Amino acid sequence: MSAGAKSRRIAPTPASSDTETRSVPRAVPPTERPREKRPFLLDFFPLEGPDQTRLSRFYDRLREGRLSTTRCPKDDEWHWPPRVACPKCHSEELEWKDLPERGRIYAFSAVLGGAPMGMEADVPFSVGLVDLNGVPLRLFGRIEGRPWPELHVGDSVRVEPYDLGDGRVFYRFRTID
Amino acid sequence: MTGRPVALVGGVTTAFGVRPTTWAEMAQEVGAALFRAIPTLRAEDVDSLFVGAAEPERFAFQSHVAPLAAEQMGLQPHRVIQRTELACASGQSAIRSAYAAIAAGLSDIAVAVGVEKMNLPSMAEANSAMGCVMDRPWDGPHGATAPPFFAMVAQRHMMEYGTTEEQLAAVSEKNHRFANSNPHAQFYAKKFSKEKLLGLPVVAPPLRLGDCSSMTDGAAAVLLVADKFVRKYTETPAWVRGTGQYSDFHNLANAGSLTKWTGMTHAAREALRGAKVAIGDIDFAEIHDCFTISEIVEYEALGLCSPGEGGAFAADGRGDLGGDLVVNPRGGLLGCGHPLGATGIAQAVEVYQQFAKQVPVARQVPDPEWALVHNLSGSANVHSVMVYHGGGAS
Ligand SMILES: [Zn+2]
Repeated sequence: MSAGAKSRRIAPTPASSDTETRSVPRAVPPTERPREKRPFLLDFFPLEGPDQTRLSRFYDRLREGRLSTTRCPKDDEWHWPPRVACPKCHSEELEWKDLPERGRIYAFSAVLGGAPMGMEADVPFSVGLVDLNGVPLRLFGRIEGRPWPELHVGDSVRVEPYDLGDGRVFYRFRTID
Repeated sequence: MTGRPVALVGGVTTAFGVRPTTWAEMAQEVGAALFRAIPTLRAEDVDSLFVGAAEPERFAFQSHVAPLAAEQMGLQPHRVIQRTELACASGQSAIRSAYAAIAAGLSDIAVAVGVEKMNLPSMAEANSAMGCVMDRPWDGPHGATAPPFFAMVAQRHMMEYGTTEEQLAAVSEKNHRFANSNPHAQFYAKKFSKEKLLGLPVVAPPLRLGDCSSMTDGAAAVLLVADKFVRKYTETPAWVRGTGQYSDFHNLANAGSLTKWTGMTHAAREALRGAKVAIGDIDFAEIHDCFTISEIVEYEALGLCSPGEGGAFAADGRGDLGGDLVVNPRGGLLGCGHPLGATGIAQAVEVYQQFAKQVPVARQVPDPEWALVHNLSGSANVHSVMVYHGGGAS
C-alpha cells in the first residue's frame, strides 16, 4: 500500500461490543421535508432493492434503525462504503457488522447556495466527516440539529436513519445537545 | 521518459465564461482558431484526436463526443480517436494520451481538445452534474459537491497550521490579477482587491465566493507531434519531458488526511524524475487552484515549502512574479474559470505561449525554461502532473 493509503487508516481500535449486540429493530422516523419524486438519473438517492443492488441488506438493516457495513473477517478490514469484495484480500466472504451509533466531527462545512436538484429547499445545510467511536471509519454525511455556526470540530453526533417516504431509507447525523 | 520525443507545437483557447453557445459550437470555434493559429497545419495531416470532456452527458445530454468533436473541427482521424474523462483533469488526460500515442509510434500528429459547457438555464441541474463526480449513492445524497469538501480542507488547514482567510485571499488576488492580462479569462478586466475578496459572501464556510472557481463554458486545443515534425509547425516547441499520476481514494470516507496530498507528491515526483529535474528547477507552474486552499496545499505537496507553510508562501508572494517561481500566470482556475475538460488544455496553451513569449508582459515569466502543470480531479483524490521543457531543440 502507498503512504497515502496508509495515512487514511484511522485509529485501528477493535470494534466495541455494542456493534455486536444491538439488534432490536426500531421505527425509522420519516424525513421532515416531503420529497418530490424524480427520475433516477436526477436523484442522488440510490435504488435500494435486491433487484438493483447486492447490498440491499444495508438498506434493510437501516430500515430497522441499524447503520451497518461489511467487514472482512480474514484480515479484519472494515469497509466504507459496504462492499461485495474485500479491496485488501479480494475475498467475497464478507460479514455484516452494525456500526456505533455515535461519533465526533472531524471536519465540517455547510452548503449555503448552489445545491443539487432536490436539495434546494434544504439550504442552508451542514455536512461533515465524522469519526465513528470505536471503529476505524470516518463517514461523510449531512449533519442535522444545531446550525453550522454552532458546530465545532470534536462535537459528538449520533447516527440517524430516516425514511424517504417512497419506500427507501437513508442515514444522516444529528447533533447531541 | 521512454519512446519518441514529443512536443506541443501550438495551441489556442476560446473565450471562457458564461457563454451563449453550445458544446458542439465551441468545438467548431476552437478548431477554427487552431487552424488560424498554426497556418502550416493541414486537416489531413492530423492522424489522431483526443477529446477531453468531463460530463457532456450531464451538461449537454451528449455521449460519443470524440467523433462529434472531429466533425465539428473538420478532422477525420485515421489512427487514434478517443475521449478522455477524468473529471477536472479530463483535458490533461487528453494530452497525456496523445503524448503516449505519439511516443509509442501509434500517432505522428495529434490534436488534444477539451470542451465543456457548464452553464445551463437551471443551475440546480448543473450542480447535480458536479455532484456526480463524487461517490454518487453514498456521498451524493448528503449533498456532497466540491465547495463543502474543499471547505473542510480549509477548515482543517486553518486548525492544524493557523492558515488564515487573508492568506487564502492572497492566492485569489494574485490569480485574478494575472487574469486581468488574459483576454480569454472569465474574470478578465474585473478587479479583485484582497479587501473586496474578504467582503464577498461565504458560500461554504470558511470559503467565500472569491475562494472558488466558477462554472464556465469554454474550449481549448493543442497540437502535439513527434520530434521529426516539430519544425514544420514551430520554432518554440514545448517538449513533454515528464508525466505522473496518482489515484488515492474515491469515497470521501477514505480521504485520510485532508491537508496532506501525498498523491500529488507522488505524481509530481514521478513527472520530475522523468524530466530529470528538481522542483527548484521549475520556472513557472500551472497548478489546479479550483479553490484558494487547493493552491496552498499544492505548494506544500510539491515541496515548495514545508507542510503548513503554504499560507505564508502565498502571502509572501513566493508564487508571484519575482518570487521563487511563478504560479498560475494564466490567471488560474480562479481567474480564468474552470470548464472541466478545457482547463488542462488551456494550462498547456499557457506553457507553450510562455515559452514562445507570446503572452502580455504583465504575466510573462522571464526566460522560462521548465514548466510544471498539475490538475487534481474530484475531491483531490487523483493528481495528474506533466513537466515541459522549452529549450528549443529536442
Ligand atoms: Zn479481506
